[in-house]
Amino acid sequence: MCIELIIFIAMVAVFAAGCFWLKLPVSISMVISAIVGALIGGQGIPIRHLVEGTFSYVDTILVIACAMIFMKVLQENGSLDALSCMIVERFHKVPALLLCLIMLVIMFPGMITGSSTAAVLSAGSIMMPVLILMGIPKLETGCIIAMGGILGMIAPPVNIPAMLIGGGVDLPYVGFEGPLALLTFPLAFLFVLMFGFKYVKHLDYEAIRQKMNTESREKYGFRNYIPILVCVFLMILNKAVPAIPDLGMPLVFLISAIVGLFTGKKVPVLKTAKEAINTVLPVLGILMGVGMFIQIMTLTGVRGFIVNVCLSIPDAWRYLAMAISIPLFGAVSSYGASSVLGVPFLLAFLAKNQVITAAAISLIASLGDMMPPTALAGIFAAQVVGVKKYTDILKKCLVPAIIMLVWATIIIVFSPQLAKII
Amino acid sequence: MGKKNVISATICLVAALTIATVTGKNFMDVKAPDTLHPSANVTETKMLSDYFGDLKGTNSDTPIYVFKGSKPGGSMLILGGTHPNEPAGYLAAVAFLENVKVDQGTVYVIPRACNSGFTNNDAQEASPQYLHFTNKNGQERQFRYGSRAANPVDQWPDPDVYIHAGSGQQLSGSETRNLNRCYPGRPDGNLMEKTAYAIVQLIKNEGVDLTFDLHESSPEYPVNDATVAHEKCMDFAAEGMLELQMEGINMSLEPSPTNLHGLTHRELGDYTNTYPILMEAPNASQGRLRGATNEEMALTGKDKFYVSAAKLGFVYVPYDENGHPIEERVGRHLQGIIEYTKAFSSIHSDKPVSFENVPGYEEMFTDTDPSQLGGPHFGSFLN
Repeated sequence: MCIELIIFIAMVAVFAAGCFWLKLPVSISMVISAIVGALIGGQGIPIRHLVEGTFSYVDTILVIACAMIFMKVLQENGSLDALSCMIVERFHKVPALLLCLIMLVIMFPGMITGSSTAAVLSAGSIMMPVLILMGIPKLETGCIIAMGGILGMIAPPVNIPAMLIGGGVDLPYVGFEGPLALLTFPLAFLFVLMFGFKYVKHLDYEAIRQKMNTESREKYGFRNYIPILVCVFLMILNKAVPAIPDLGMPLVFLISAIVGLFTGKKVPVLKTAKEAINTVLPVLGILMGVGMFIQIMTLTGVRGFIVNVCLSIPDAWRYLAMAISIPLFGAVSSYGASSVLGVPFLLAFLAKNQVITAAAISLIASLGDMMPPTALAGIFAAQVVGVKKYTDILKKCLVPAIIMLVWATIIIVFSPQLAKII
Repeated sequence: MGKKNVISATICLVAALTIATVTGKNFMDVKAPDTLHPSANVTETKMLSDYFGDLKGTNSDTPIYVFKGSKPGGSMLILGGTHPNEPAGYLAAVAFLENVKVDQGTVYVIPRACNSGFTNNDAQEASPQYLHFTNKNGQERQFRYGSRAANPVDQWPDPDVYIHAGSGQQLSGSETRNLNRCYPGRPDGNLMEKTAYAIVQLIKNEGVDLTFDLHESSPEYPVNDATVAHEKCMDFAAEGMLELQMEGINMSLEPSPTNLHGLTHRELGDYTNTYPILMEAPNASQGRLRGATNEEMALTGKDKFYVSAAKLGFVYVPYDENGHPIEERVGRHLQGIIEYTKAFSSIHSDKPVSFENVPGYEEMFTDTDPSQLGGPHFGSFLN
């Protein structure tokens, strides 16, 4: 048995023991497993590496923290209630179309930022009350939001995993729109109908109206929507006019949250901000722990060992290896999986159409955001809808996840033929 | 708050402060520039900010070593350290400037083109911080192993998507800190765009005829053991490549893709009168398939996972147990500079550049006792 495998087994065992036996937080378990990995790898306790690894996620952490503050402000000031009332009132006669429109709205922030977290925490939280009002249970609502988040992250025009994979082989991000649209939109409509249609096909609008909280809508009218419109405007501003500097997602969410303080019900600022940070703190800790974990895997050669094992699988099994290994590695980061495994797999499929293959691999990589322990899309979708165990959402999304893998594989297999059409 | 909580909180806080102090000092220490000892023939040392004042006082300002020959001729620029995690690109420029004697024309050497990238390491890459050598006088020399792109402390935050200013090309946001995606640069852009702009100003103001950009790439990257040249360079580049192959160096010549923007071999050729050449050598320590990452791997290029990946056909360079030592990678670059310069000077006889005393591939690699490869022999060319 090679040393890398021994280190990997030890790291996983220590992590599992920390989580399940000692009941330690996931983040602490990851730190301990990283230290054990370094010790077995003969690196002592490499403090520089442990700290350096955490820096990968500084930007992500800021986006998550600021998005959660924005979401809590919208909840407190009544904007979410007002928007739900308006949407249900206008579209309740065409529930299937309404569901598809809601899915597109959930996907939108992901489509323009390339981040599932941004989609789940902004549009996901905005659409959550609408779905609940329509009678869709919390669990299914969480699934719709989670799948909308990860499909939004892959849908065009902005797909960071595809850019990372393309960047690894100097493939310009050109011509991806068609393949990405084909990969994502049919699945998005399928999943939202799978999860929601049976609950809304006989929509009783009168019953729903009794449950609606219309206070904010009646009192503040259009003002309710201003923070959401500001957020959308700031998100697309730099994309529409590249000459204008990108404000960055954290600032976009913070500006929108500040606007929300003045457009609806009074918001206790400090209490709301503190509550938001407390909500996301465990996830932020996990991200830091994951950073250390990967850095030690790289330092000790475990990362290279995993990549080599995946690539050395015989040709016929390579699709299966890709479909399993990329989402599994995505448990630490879907972006990381795109770069570390996505690039070698793209090179392994050189006979296929490069653009379509890279796009399809990015769809597979997006499932990393549904893979514990990070499972950003699943965890935040659970928080948004108030489901205690995020793993319930992951279990419910298993079938859609398999459909995504099969869809991506079919697209890769037939990419030379598809390239002539799209 | 209970007494136990106060005690545990205090312990955590003290531990956190201690770790922050230790690692903070380490991260600050790597900002100190390496000490270089140019050959006695250096005629002038300038700074990049001399060509674009906005860089003064930033981490992107970097020395330019100027070597003027006794005879007038053309001029040449060598860019090392465009990607500071590609050590042969940096060290070839260092070996050149510590040995060269220019006879004809003028040579400009920027060993740390992306100086900011030398001040940090990429998170999760576990790169070594320094490479160590013993020089010809028996003294220890150390050189930084940096990050692929600029330090986020100098240029932050990254946009979601990096849009190349000249072409509108979209790349992932982190590429906004990649100097070799920012050419021809902008005077009012971000730090890397300003750095690229300053290098373009140097080329324009000094009338640089020939530019070399020295790189390394991971063995699984298709452009490897290769020269990438702008289409206007093809006549002399083809001649130079044939010379390299005659000397036993496996080198391919690839035209600069017209749809890939921001790189030296495309933009310097399009926007200036210089003839840009980019060279790649194989570097396991930046690859995705590599094993344990450390200084030894960066210097010897030995890696068991790349050996097995080569057997499976996943790499674009031959890879065996001997690896690709730093002497081989630096030697390739230096011999490339020698041959392409000769070919350029032969075809463009109105602007010749000639120099001597630069170690070539044979001297640096093939004529060497194998036990001295992986650092010791390279050190013998350092002052």
